[in-house]
Amino acid sequence: MPDWKQIVHKNLRALGVCSPEFTEELAGHLEDSYEALLREGVPAEVAFHRTMRQIKGRRRDWLELNFVKEELMTGLTRMNGFIRKVALPGLLTTAASALVSWVLIRVGIWPKVILMPNREFQMFLALSPWWWGMLPFCGVLGALLSRRNGGSRLQCIAAATAPGTVIGAILLLEFPLGFIYQGLVNHQWDFNLLEALGLFLLSFSVIPAAFLLLGAGVSEVSAKKFDRIAQ
Amino acid sequence: MPLVNAQIKRGSAELAVLALLAERPLHGYEIAKQIEAQTGGVLRFDMASLYPMLHRLERKSWVKAEWQTLPNGRRRRCYRLTASGRKQIAPLRAEWRAFFQALQSVTGFQNA
Repeated sequence: MPDWKQIVHKNLRALGVCSPEFTEELAGHLEDSYEALLREGVPAEVAFHRTMRQIKGRRRDWLELNFVKEELMTGLTRMNGFIRKVALPGLLTTAASALVSWVLIRVGIWPKVILMPNREFQMFLALSPWWWGMLPFCGVLGALLSRRNGGSRLQCIAAATAPGTVIGAILLLEFPLGFIYQGLVNHQWDFNLLEALGLFLLSFSVIPAAFLLLGAGVSEVSAKKFDRIAQ
Repeated sequence: MPLVNAQIKRGSAELAVLALLAERPLHGYEIAKQIEAQTGGVLRFDMASLYPMLHRLERKSWVKAEWQTLPNGRRRRCYRLTASGRKQIAPLRAEWRAFFQALQSVTGFQNA
């Protein structure tokens, strides 16, 4: 019995790149075709050549082209879904929260900075109650847009909390790098940096994300209420 | 008109597959063989058109595929119709009926 999986893998290289599942599925098809021919009394060698015709020459090109096209479309559909349901609403939330922060600073409302006592270098906690107070509205905007674009509950939450998540990710990436750099260049492992990371995360990521999440929650509850009324 | 030709082919193939899967779940080879048998060999699917189409239907969530182990121990990817796919059959049939009626009024041919 020919090794159809191996044959498909060898002959349809483009499919191997796409997915091993396609290879196995097509191998199964060829195996069934080959066995059906054998059952009809066709000699094994002829049956093999007839089966191979399905993946040779122009047919192979068509098969590869169609599969690659389908794969590409699947990828684009997924990407479009992510952009519409998470990335764009997340960008809207981020832009709205940045705008609010800018307006507050323009009108003279600065974050309240609390210096941490008894530290070798200045460490602070930034409290921005006015900004935080406005963040639920930004969260509502992102969650509503995500929901309107067909986003799931998780995608709505991701879109609404995007600014906090992005800042958190940047801090989590930046501080360990700084910590390692200091250790390698200055040969001094400064553990105060870890404490500073905690304070920054709290001020600019965790607390804002909690307020944004509040907005996502409000949007979820109001959407459910609206759905119930609509029914 | 190659574009219309391709669209007609694609549409009719999708309806044929959905109608077949409405009866029971099948794997790719069975789908191809059953369509060939039921149409007396008039409609035939080769791998190049069948599998990309099945994957397209799966992407639209009209069919769902899952690997099954057959009694002979071999693994085959079986396709079954989803609720959303079942909903597509009636409108597709109506579209095709309208298409044949329109064609009939122009050409005078009778469809069986």
